[in-house]
Amino acid sequence: MSEFVRGRLVPLLVLLVVFALVPYGLAKFGKGYFFQVAQLVLIYALLAVSLHLVTGAAGLLHLGHAAFYGVGAYVAALLGTEMKLGFLWGLPAAGLAAAALAFVVALPTMRLVSIYFAVATLAIGQMIHTVLLNWVAVTKGPNGVMLFSGITLFGTPVKSPIAIYFLVAGLVALSIWVLHRLSHSYYGNALRSLREDDQCADAMGVDTVRLKIEVFTVSAFFAGIAGALWAYTTGYVSPGDFGFNTSILVLAMIVVGGLGSLPGAIIGAALLILLPEVLRGVGDLRNVMVGIVMFVSILFLPRGLLGEVSALSLVRRGFGLKWGAAPSDREVGWR
Amino acid sequence: MSLLEIENVTRRFGGLVAVDGVTTRVEAGELVGLIGPNGAGKTTLFNLISGFTPLSAGAVRFKGEPIQGLKPHRIAARGMSRTFQNLRVFPNMSVFDNVSVGAVGAMGQSAFAAVFGRRARADAISARTWEALERVGLGGVAEDLAANLSYGKRKYLEIARALAMKPELLILDEPAAGLNDSETADLARFIRSLNGEGLSIMLVEHDMNLVMGICSRVVVLASGRKIADAEPAAVRADPAVLEAYLGVDE
Repeated sequence: MSEFVRGRLVPLLVLLVVFALVPYGLAKFGKGYFFQVAQLVLIYALLAVSLHLVTGAAGLLHLGHAAFYGVGAYVAALLGTEMKLGFLWGLPAAGLAAAALAFVVALPTMRLVSIYFAVATLAIGQMIHTVLLNWVAVTKGPNGVMLFSGITLFGTPVKSPIAIYFLVAGLVALSIWVLHRLSHSYYGNALRSLREDDQCADAMGVDTVRLKIEVFTVSAFFAGIAGALWAYTTGYVSPGDFGFNTSILVLAMIVVGGLGSLPGAIIGAALLILLPEVLRGVGDLRNVMVGIVMFVSILFLPRGLLGEVSALSLVRRGFGLKWGAAPSDREVGWR
Repeated sequence: MSLLEIENVTRRFGGLVAVDGVTTRVEAGELVGLIGPNGAGKTTLFNLISGFTPLSAGAVRFKGEPIQGLKPHRIAARGMSRTFQNLRVFPNMSVFDNVSVGAVGAMGQSAFAAVFGRRARADAISARTWEALERVGLGGVAEDLAANLSYGKRKYLEIARALAMKPELLILDEPAAGLNDSETADLARFIRSLNGEGLSIMLVEHDMNLVMGICSRVVVLASGRKIADAEPAAVRADPAVLEAYLGVDE
């Protein structure tokens, strides 16, 4: 019974909240603002989960994730305004552009270790941000790009806020499912072995450099998708949204949620997006309050809300990935 | 053709010659011990064989093919797996997940297969993982965190991870270091039984008794050079070996 509760009920409840309760509440009470907040949570959840793959699972401290988010947003916005290409072209193009850039960047940087890798990603993030800010001819510089066309699916404009919400939630859920499969599989175990001891992983036959390049590229693809969703839902992109602060915010989300935990990344994203909104009442002090919450959580929960171990067993059972006590039991390990 | 042929292997670190023209071999099914005093170059020789340290000169052939210059994971994929002197399990992963890395390293699982793949590959990986776990007797603690295992069990975990690769040659770097006498005896029995199943093993060890007790042939290194390569009894009586271990009688 408890297997069933954890195994099927929890994910089902989450999906029910995301696809039924929240939209119902939004439709009933929502003004534009609530829709924006709900979509922001979803987009950041995708960003955090994509960073989880690189930083939480594979253990590569990535300080430039927001740059690939920005590339996705700009590609979607510029394709829409300059080339009149809609959502169905812009969304995959945004992901692929971010992934292609990440692949090129990863080739040299993946040979760097630990702190040198972190500094390299920091530099790459800053470089991309500087390009977005100063390449005025293409990116319109600090003014940003307005994307008026909105979302059109197969010739039908998607106009109502609730439909847009469902579209974003569906795409985010699908993306997170893919990232979940990557993270919670034997492929994911190979990623974790990089985090634990990559030299030792090498001796086990794991092609560490190739795996790092792969995971960095896949992560950037989904960051690009998140960027495109941001561009289409807000209708406006500017360089300020894709700077170092955003990279650190996403990093804070996965740390607060518990490094190495995919559900933790989602919870962290929801927490750090919703908390400042809930705290609007205290005015200018709200950012201080958010800081205090983060500080306290690091102080008392250094492993985050869902540390690797508890999170792993939760996911194992949570998604029907059962452990068997005996080898005769075939229901073991990842599926 | 021997399983592993080491020919005139040399490694210089600056002015120091850590391994100096060592030539030896491992036949299929053999259990070879590699001993020597501290700093004799035993671990360096292992690192040269497994690709962690590039050779300065010489050649290493595995199953008849040269493997010098290959990356460690390529050598591992050809059927040679190793353990490390200072225990290197993955501490924040479960025992099962630790061992599964060996299985997935040998069998491979692409990102695409991880997302959309059928169950067959994942089932094969988990079956192989269980097999290795059961072989070393860690099946009961599969779900425990590796960091929470006792020192002795972590030794077996490391061996299980190497076994999950289904190697043809297993290289053990000081497996008995830090174990007490009865644990060492258990380990000796275990290594012997692995060898009895046909697995070729090369073993670096400090503990003379362990090596002399189980190995069919013993290679002795001193100051980077091979000074003996014979059966245990012959090695025990070799004056050069006694000199290297005990010093010269003045």
